[in-house]
Amino acid sequence: MIGVGKAKQYANVLDKPLSRGRQEVSLSAFAFLFSEMVQYNQTQVDNIAELERRLEDAGYAVGARVLELLCHREKGNKREIRLLHILGFIHSTVWKVLFGKGADSLEKGTEHEDEYMISEKELLVNRFISIPKDMGAFNCGAFVAGIVRGVLENAGFPAVVTAHFVPIEGQQRPRTTILIKFAEEVLQREARLG
Amino acid sequence: MIVCVAVVGHQNNPLYLQSFTEADDALKLHHVVHCSLDVIGERVNNPKRNAPALNETFLGLLYPTENYKVYGYLTNTKVKFIMVTTDLDVKDADARNFFRKFHAAYVDAVSNPFHVPGKKIASRSFGARVSTIVKSFGSGTTA
Repeated sequence: MIGVGKAKQYANVLDKPLSRGRQEVSLSAFAFLFSEMVQYNQTQVDNIAELERRLEDAGYAVGARVLELLCHREKGNKREIRLLHILGFIHSTVWKVLFGKGADSLEKGTEHEDEYMISEKELLVNRFISIPKDMGAFNCGAFVAGIVRGVLENAGFPAVVTAHFVPIEGQQRPRTTILIKFAEEVLQREARLG
Repeated sequence: MIVCVAVVGHQNNPLYLQSFTEADDALKLHHVVHCSLDVIGERVNNPKRNAPALNETFLGLLYPTENYKVYGYLTNTKVKFIMVTTDLDVKDADARNFFRKFHAAYVDAVSNPFHVPGKKIASRSFGARVSTIVKSFGSGTTA
């Protein structure tokens, strides 16, 4: 629901359309709120890992609620029990509701059976953020990783989700990848379901 | 007439329990709700051959006791809604409609950022909405 433009200004309130409108929040308002959230957490913690954990916990709460809301509103109350279905649900529906478009790609990891990756050229939350050199590998996309973890865990697929920068040659800014590592029981259940 | 509705979390912890009649013992209704959790667990783990798809949310009539019928509904996050009614003939569509409205009220209550998932739902407006939905259920079936 984070939109890119500003709402059209109507001279007369009677001219406004009667429909519910596009249900969007302005990008600048969200960017401001997110930057304040990062700054607030930065004053409370001593190290980077703790900061990442706090952002992820904030995202987890959002993810849990988004799952309830979307299952009721968009998907006609069907429960997802297959791994690929829930990943497809996150990659299209959740991303579209939160960021206005689907994620760029969904890939299966090659080294391990239980790893999947959702990549995005530029995460919306990172658009106005640049990480200082002395913070190393910190990525504010930990918030989005928390959202994905919230959706997966509440749907019954416990997983560890992290966000990473992947440098691509030919582009200045690196891509962001959300790495999802499922717990052992999820794979066993998936194998049992055939 | 609906006598009781309940929301039970994914670890079978009660999140919301409300009875709508003063005549019967509230404890007996809680016991009925508790027993129906077993039936839901059974249905989820061993689906019958001609059962609806594994991912269907409305579970239908769970089991009839002496003068109550118990209906169940399972959401995507393993949260269960239980409805106990004394009506003798409840149309399937009415029960589904009831659970749909109840699910909408539940989603709104959980979206509250001050609600801690796993704790009881303490929102007064949720209670008021549930009472409205329960009242409108009764008038639907007497048409």
